[in-house]
Amino acid sequence: MRIAAGVDVGSTQTKAVLIGANGDGVKVLSRSLIDTGANVRKAAEKAFDECCQAAGIAQADVGFVVGTGYGRYNISFGHTQMTEISCHARGAHFLCPGTRTVIDMGGQDAKAIGVGPSGEVLDFVMNDKCAAGTGRFLANAAEVMGLGLDDIGPLSLRATRPVKIATVCTVFVESDILSYLSQGKKPEDIMGGVHLAIAKRTMSLARRVNIEPLVTMTGGVARNIGMVRALESVLGQKIIVTPDAQFMGAVGAALFSLEKLGESFESSVWREHAVSSGD
Amino acid sequence: MPLVAGIDCGSGFTKALVAAQDAPGSELRILGRGRARSGINVDQAAEEALEQALAGNARSDLNYIAATGFGRYNLNFRDIAITEITTAARGAFFLFPRAGAVLDIGSQTTRAIAVKDNGRVNTFKSNDKCAAGSGMFIARAAKYLEVPLEQVGNLSLHAAHAHPISSVCAVLAESEIINHVSSGVSVEDILRGIHDSLADRAGALLKRVGLKDELTFIGGVAHQQGMVRALEQRLNVKVNVAEDCEYVCALGAAVLGLRRLASRN
Repeated sequence: MRIAAGVDVGSTQTKAVLIGANGDGVKVLSRSLIDTGANVRKAAEKAFDECCQAAGIAQADVGFVVGTGYGRYNISFGHTQMTEISCHARGAHFLCPGTRTVIDMGGQDAKAIGVGPSGEVLDFVMNDKCAAGTGRFLANAAEVMGLGLDDIGPLSLRATRPVKIATVCTVFVESDILSYLSQGKKPEDIMGGVHLAIAKRTMSLARRVNIEPLVTMTGGVARNIGMVRALESVLGQKIIVTPDAQFMGAVGAALFSLEKLGESFESSVWREHAVSSGD
Repeated sequence: MPLVAGIDCGSGFTKALVAAQDAPGSELRILGRGRARSGINVDQAAEEALEQALAGNARSDLNYIAATGFGRYNLNFRDIAITEITTAARGAFFLFPRAGAVLDIGSQTTRAIAVKDNGRVNTFKSNDKCAAGSGMFIARAAKYLEVPLEQVGNLSLHAAHAHPISSVCAVLAESEIINHVSSGVSVEDILRGIHDSLADRAGALLKRVGLKDELTFIGGVAHQQGMVRALEQRLNVKVNVAEDCEYVCALGAAVLGLRRLASRN
């Protein structure tokens, strides 16, 4: 079995995935998830180490490692790097076949990617100026409300009269939320409004690529069911979310690794041949 | 002797200024100033600020209260509500009648106002959708750098080489600032880079309303000397800063309140 790894060093969390390929096909062997923190290099090492331990595989047996994400150039052990855009497209194509659009909402970024029939990137847009639509926005909103990040999504689904959120600025929304709380609005209605505002904002960004079904959501925010539902209501179509949504970048990177591994096998065979014919 | 109060109910702080006119037609005399954190209850913050601004004068002697700022309609004991654009222009004109432009950087809003030669508003542009370019951007940066907000202006003034910041978003700037710190850039240089970036953003707004050779800078951020220096250097204009720069809208409200009172009597 050929074993390949992908390590996705995100702004907030670092994800590692091991995949294995044999005659039966390709499958995900293990995953790991840790907070990136201040030391990007260490985070990548730790995520990779945990991932190998989870699969019971020695690091030396991993044939190829591809790094992706914003910290990809800080990975000490990676063989090469790919952009997270290519990796999310590739991962979604593999885990959710038929994906033509990826909406990736991570810790500090929001992206929409147009995906071709073989998993290639056709087009993409991303936020580069503003934290609206990112995990940071939702984490901030949760903090102001005194709620856990995992609780706000389900809570938002219980909204009956979502409040109107005029700003999508992560900083200003704090005072919006506080003033709604002081008016006695229900937490679920405030959170419903927050999710809807961010869904509208994200879809207006995403509409700059050609949105074709199937639409797959990736990134850590995909864990938030309220955000998925809000995006579906704004988009007017179903969005696919897999349990591995947060690992999609790492899965894509691991798939690229596997490809490289194939290439390097072939090239080493070719080199041997070339050498022998030179004799 | 008419006694008037201008109360500026800002998003961060509520500022009150009490002034008197000793004789009809004479210039207004400022008696006191006061401020309180705005919080949730506008009336309560305004009471607290007004109490300080009265400086021993009796509340019952006040003839007129003009409210301005973001929370002006929530102030129940007002006689009139005036937009902060009008009061900013009027207050700045009272202090520096020659400046044709006003820059107001508050905690949540940045505004550029072109002022006519009679103190009225000619035109204005405002950035209030996001914290980019606002005082809140600096407050956040100070928090990431663990520097008290009061020291920001002076530290920035002592920068050796301003270190540019590319983030526009106050939240996304956090990782950029942390990266700068961990790569050994001094706090002074980072803060000056932030002031330069804010000055450039303010300059873009000011150019849209028309900036000539003199500018009056108001709002709490005007206390930061590094920001004043950045504006002077990047925009190449004379920058006027009043000693009590965060009370200029309250002052403008008092001036206009007095005028309204005179026309009513």
